Amino acid sequence: MPRNRTVRLAVLGSSVQRAAPSGFPSSRSSAVKRRIIVGFLVLLSLVLITVSFRSSALDGVQGAGATVLRPFEVAADRIARPFADTIGWFRGLVDAKSENEKLRAQNEALRRQLILDEGAIQENVQLRKALNFVGPPSVADFAKVHTTVVANSQGALDESVVIGAGTSDGVQVGSVVVEPLGGPDGSGALIGTVDRAFAHESRVTLLTDSESAVTATDVTNPSVIGAVRRGGGSSDVLILDRVSKTPVVRIGDTIVTAGSLGAGPLKSKFPRGIAIGSVSSKSSSDTTLFQNIQLKPLVDFSSIQTVVVLVPKSR
Amino acid sequence: MDGLKAALVLFVAALLQLSVLTEYRTFRTASIVLVALLSIALLRGSVFGAVAGFMTGLLLDTATLGTLGITSLLLTLGGFWIGRYGETTARDRFHAPYVSVAVVTALYLFGQLVLQFMLGEPAPAGLVAHGVPGALLLNLILTLPVYALIRRLFPPLELGDRVREVRLLG
Repeated sequence: MPRNRTVRLAVLGSSVQRAAPSGFPSSRSSAVKRRIIVGFLVLLSLVLITVSFRSSALDGVQGAGATVLRPFEVAADRIARPFADTIGWFRGLVDAKSENEKLRAQNEALRRQLILDEGAIQENVQLRKALNFVGPPSVADFAKVHTTVVANSQGALDESVVIGAGTSDGVQVGSVVVEPLGGPDGSGALIGTVDRAFAHESRVTLLTDSESAVTATDVTNPSVIGAVRRGGGSSDVLILDRVSKTPVVRIGDTIVTAGSLGAGPLKSKFPRGIAIGSVSSKSSSDTTLFQNIQLKPLVDFSSIQTVVVLVPKSR
Repeated sequence: MDGLKAALVLFVAALLQLSVLTEYRTFRTASIVLVALLSIALLRGSVFGAVAGFMTGLLLDTATLGTLGITSLLLTLGGFWIGRYGETTARDRFHAPYVSVAVVTALYLFGQLVLQFMLGEPAPAGLVAHGVPGALLLNLILTLPVYALIRRLFPPLELGDRVREVRLLG
């Protein structure tokens, strides 16, 4: 065995037959095929984005697809529900004792408040009748469509949920969506508005979306008028913006939708009196024209299960 | 057969993503679909990954009533790229799935941001940047069981099946 054998000789001098060096037809065709397939898929995606974003031509197909997928989503949710409930039960157990004491105290306060409120309500009804008063539309002027959340928001950028009611149930783009048991009196708390409506499903843009805003007022001080929108960082915090420094806002005050009391010429699509949140902090500085008011939402936007869509009664 | 298995796995992953994971704020940034897709792409190559990514994206966009094509575009590119990585340098490397998931998770989030910006929709970069560490961590945690399961369902192909362009000398 000669010791001076080099790597070059080992390769070039090998008797093993190698593939012809003049190109690799199969490899080249494989690479071309691969590029064609990927290029086609990317192009198709771009076409889909363009058509879907610029027109409603694909809405029918998308709505039908979503309807087909819905039973599977509901089934998955039902399978996962016992596990979710178990986790929730254990989580609730941790702070049940302290929460119990807090709720007992709150219950007492609310009982006292209720007695006062009932008298005020009776008086209000009588005065409205006497004056033949016609106020802005309230929640009672709408029919309610109860439905469930089919798909929650996906990721940090998406602040929307898909609900299981659509145009066939009277839901329209712009319909107001509330949580059925939210709010201090259980009459509902604002979640958002419908931004896309299909036959059996709709997409709801949450109040925590950076493009959502609603004219709001303080229940205890109606002279406080501002716009509620998402806070700068976390979706746990909303802010009541554009409130001048004059009216007094107290921590703990409940903020509700103002109806059409905003300064703009357009009517608000939100009925008056839907609870949004309670004031968690407030401050003001010499350099700003408005108060800095932060709200704690009454709805946990991360775990919405059922919703109520307010639709016109005339339908 | 592989196509049918992949469709089933990605469909189940999408249902888990839509109905279970997103119910919890903590897990909202995690994407089991992305992890499953990248694992499949790594084991079955670029074309398979791209097609699977496109179909999965279409499924997600349909179910969430979002703008069709956005998720498809991102997942097609992600599946293709990681598929190429699997066909070439990632062969038999333990860290390949973790590296793939980490890199594509970050790129996927910023890709979404760029597309939203290009479509004229709100694109809060700070919010996305804030969510990247959590998403990376959760997706990397998910990679361990998901990749193990998918590797069982899609056993690695023989070298000759995967590599068509590179001929070894000797």
